[in-house]
Amino acid sequence: MESNRVEAEALFRLVEQLYGARLTEAELEEVRKGVERIVEASAELRAVRLGNWDEPFSVFTPYRRRGK
Amino acid sequence: MNPVYASVRDLSEAIRAGEASPVELAEVFTERLREHGHRLNSVVAIMEKRALREAKAAQREISLSGPRGPLHGVPYGVKDLIAARGAPTTWGAAPLRDQVLKYDATAVRRLRRAGAVLCAKLAMIELAGGMGYKQPNASFTGPCATPWSLGHWSGGSSSGSGASVAAGLVPFALGSETWGSILSPANNCGVSGLRPTYGRVSRHGAMALSWTLDKLGPLCLTADDCGLVLEAVSGYDPGDASTSRRRYRYSPEKDDFRLGVPVDALDEAQEAVAGNFKDSLRVLEKFATVEEVRFPDFPYEAVTRTILNAEAASAFDEFTEQGLARGLTAPEDRYGPYARTAVLARDYLKALRLRERMARIAEDVMAGFDALVAPSRKAVASPIDQEFRKVSPGTAKDVMGALGNGAGLPAVSVPNGFSGEGLPTGLQFMGRAYDENRVLSAAVEYQRRTGWHRRHPPAFKP
Repeated sequence: MESNRVEAEALFRLVEQLYGARLTEAELEEVRKGVERIVEASAELRAVRLGNWDEPFSVFTPYRRRGK
Repeated sequence: MNPVYASVRDLSEAIRAGEASPVELAEVFTERLREHGHRLNSVVAIMEKRALREAKAAQREISLSGPRGPLHGVPYGVKDLIAARGAPTTWGAAPLRDQVLKYDATAVRRLRRAGAVLCAKLAMIELAGGMGYKQPNASFTGPCATPWSLGHWSGGSSSGSGASVAAGLVPFALGSETWGSILSPANNCGVSGLRPTYGRVSRHGAMALSWTLDKLGPLCLTADDCGLVLEAVSGYDPGDASTSRRRYRYSPEKDDFRLGVPVDALDEAQEAVAGNFKDSLRVLEKFATVEEVRFPDFPYEAVTRTILNAEAASAFDEFTEQGLARGLTAPEDRYGPYARTAVLARDYLKALRLRERMARIAEDVMAGFDALVAPSRKAVASPIDQEFRKVSPGTAKDVMGALGNGAGLPAVSVPNGFSGEGLPTGLQFMGRAYDENRVLSAAVEYQRRTGWHRRHPPAFKP
């Protein structure tokens, strides 16, 4: 899908900017494939419709030290 | 009695009857670890001093007032991502080989409280596979072999835990699973491995790969032993906010079962895996009703994979930023962490939102069933010098793994036969949240009717 390809390329460029100096050309190519897989997974997630009320499956509990 | 390959329950009986002593057991198993650990690359450190100290204390107490419970005086090992005083905690990673955590993880503390005797830190895939390894040689201790064939992989990331139990180097071990890391070595090494419900066992003192996916659990010779160990290590811990306040007591009382088999359970399974699974179904049908089940279409793997990628990227942020990945053993682990820095917050949060829907799907599909059964892995152990993703079936979806880990559900893997080349295959029972007793009961009954768990690798027989 074209939008996936564009997104993967943009994200890869960001990773390359941040970490490219540490990596060889061959390693960067593998990173590119990894980013493409991440974007494919994201596209699958985005295809599922959720309502505004569908919350993340985690609960934040405000912290207070016991006895204070 | 010869304690090697005796179950925890049998060792416990022997200790109670005075036929075995904790000190003798500690000596036997530390010697086994020393003699055979290097053949398998399954051991990071033998903790002889600590083992003898704990064994002597257990022996003294048992002689005065009897055993505290079934683990009192029984030796064990832990995956080297679990902190324990007396040895480095390396997480399997060369850059951390000198890391010393001067405390015991909660699970180790609980086993100490139960009187178990810690003998060894056991090998693992570096950083529990969190960098995306593709091959067995992804640990500074070298590739870990299954005791059934030194040319084949033990599975991972709890490699040493599975291999050491299978080789009779320890009666039981603790491992951890984020996605597959207990069931894979249980499968490849032919032992019983329990992935508990998320939050059953405190993660305090264990390396974090993914805070909302990581679980600690036992690898043992029998499913029954897994229940005994889980009872000792489970329970609420203020050091881990995710731990459940539900108390766990091991009681395998049920004897009539309703089991579900996913319709695609054998898709792309190797011939031996499929054949042994069909044989297992014939055994299960003698004490259970078995029905097909179907999971609705849903991005199970994308949900769990996105959560794992995002949390691992954050958990190892400093490690990655400092460039420490460059010192890892597997070449793919040296660049693996960088791609996942590209997971967007909106997608991580979407995965967390979809996780609730996934958990509800699991409840709907599993309603009325004691467990779903399937092959633990669709392939036997791969050759130790090859990329396992190239050898194993590559395109088959791992819905059971994605759903089970993403929704935090318990599963036990038990051996159910061998391939033509003598490599073990496994059968998994996956249950609803907090239903460890049901999955263990079904597995115990299966093992009562079969003898696969009583077979041991010839090269390691005492």
